[in-house]
Amino acid sequence: MRPTFSLVLAALSALIVLFILLPVVVTISTQFYNPGFIQAMEDRAVWSSILLTYYAALLSTLIAIVFGTPLSYILSRYSFLGRSIVEGVVDIPVVIPHTAAGIALLAVFGSNGLIGSFSPFKFVDALPGIVVAMLFVSVPIYLNAAREGFASIDLRLEQVARTLGASQWRVFFTISLPLAARHIAAGALMAWARAISEFGAIVVIAYYPMIAPTLIYERYISAGLSAAGPVTAILILLSLAVFVAIRILLWGENVSRSER
Amino acid sequence: MFLEVNAEKNLGSFRLNVEFSMGRGYCVILGPTGAGKSLLLELIAGIVKPDRGRVVMDGEDITEIPPEKRGIGFVPQDYALFPHMNVRKNIAYGLRHEKGHKKDKRVKEIAEKLGISHLLDREPATLSGGERQRVALARALVIKPKLILLDEPLSAVDLGTKEKLINELKYIHSEFEIPIVHVTHDVIEAAMLAEEMAVVMDGRIIKAGGVEDILHGRATEFRDGSLFKTFLEIMKQWS
Repeated sequence: MRPTFSLVLAALSALIVLFILLPVVVTISTQFYNPGFIQAMEDRAVWSSILLTYYAALLSTLIAIVFGTPLSYILSRYSFLGRSIVEGVVDIPVVIPHTAAGIALLAVFGSNGLIGSFSPFKFVDALPGIVVAMLFVSVPIYLNAAREGFASIDLRLEQVARTLGASQWRVFFTISLPLAARHIAAGALMAWARAISEFGAIVVIAYYPMIAPTLIYERYISAGLSAAGPVTAILILLSLAVFVAIRILLWGENVSRSER
Repeated sequence: MFLEVNAEKNLGSFRLNVEFSMGRGYCVILGPTGAGKSLLLELIAGIVKPDRGRVVMDGEDITEIPPEKRGIGFVPQDYALFPHMNVRKNIAYGLRHEKGHKKDKRVKEIAEKLGISHLLDREPATLSGGERQRVALARALVIKPKLILLDEPLSAVDLGTKEKLINELKYIHSEFEIPIVHVTHDVIEAAMLAEEMAVVMDGRIIKAGGVEDILHGRATEFRDGSLFKTFLEIMKQWS
């Protein structure tokens, strides 16, 4: 590489990394001198909102895995009439502004909504409402990752397994699923992260019980930056810790597999 | 006839329309790339269904029978070993209904016959081309299929290994007394192995029958490997 070329590359790359890192680092580092941080750490409302966020995101991710895996398999394997329409439908949540998504979900899951009116679950201002909002915005991420995973598998492997006497079910569970597992796990992790970070859609359908992003927003509106900062720092730190832990877990499995 | 295929299959603009039959011998299907050889194998294996026509094996119409119930072993061009299982598990994959020690015994037996006992605990990614092929053959043979399909089995190996593997395929055919359909684009390979032969071009079988007949009485020149050996000698002189 020419020195000027590599220099320009490095400078531009450093800028973009800094741009991402700076707000995170500043938010966390200013909390070391902030007595409000200890207060927030001892605040039960903060912890219950964070726990609720993670729990609802977990439920949403599990639903995405159970219902999304078959769809992503179908999309990676079969060509059928209207397939591109289905693919387009899957990406709809990505292009809808999230508050609009919340309104749309309200039309279906609200107490007078299509499903909400007869469902035994209450969605408005309740956990199921948070979960459907998280699911709506995060499921495309899971579907696309899992589909990519299935598409990366050599079809011959599945075909040979069939000739060895395996039913379609057995092929799916012993060949396709294990070979797509890393994509599926990565997709689930990204979908979970996306669910945790959702605010716009949730705040429309379920302001209460308060998830962490709503709590941060509420503290910012009512008491300003000094009140919102500590909670933000806790949420960022915790999310980073969980994210890194899961990454290491997945990465560790990868290493042991290649060593075996 | 042991196997009769009388079928038509359209894939996009490509059209396979074949009348093919073979006995219990070693049958080589010869043809250039894109002639439809692999598609014919997929029809026999049941991986694709014909648009029209039927596939009959051993007197039974198997056109509608799914691949897992046909009892036909398939060894694709790249061998398709399951990358997440070691050699032992690859071979045992088709023995799902066998009990533990009986399963182990059959895996060991077949591994011994193919000279791969020392590879059983290895991962597919660590094997050489020749080793991979033997594992794929073992995996297909262990379920005691009625027929074995080989798709370009020797295309991925160098000339020296090729000679060895040709002898191994002959050995497998006689040792296991199993009919084999072997697809290739290599005339020498075909002549050295074939008892029966079919030539495929543009989705049609343009010639079929005995080897001598198809090669105009000059099969022995190929079969004793003299052409092949001559070429190997020339290659040695090059290097």
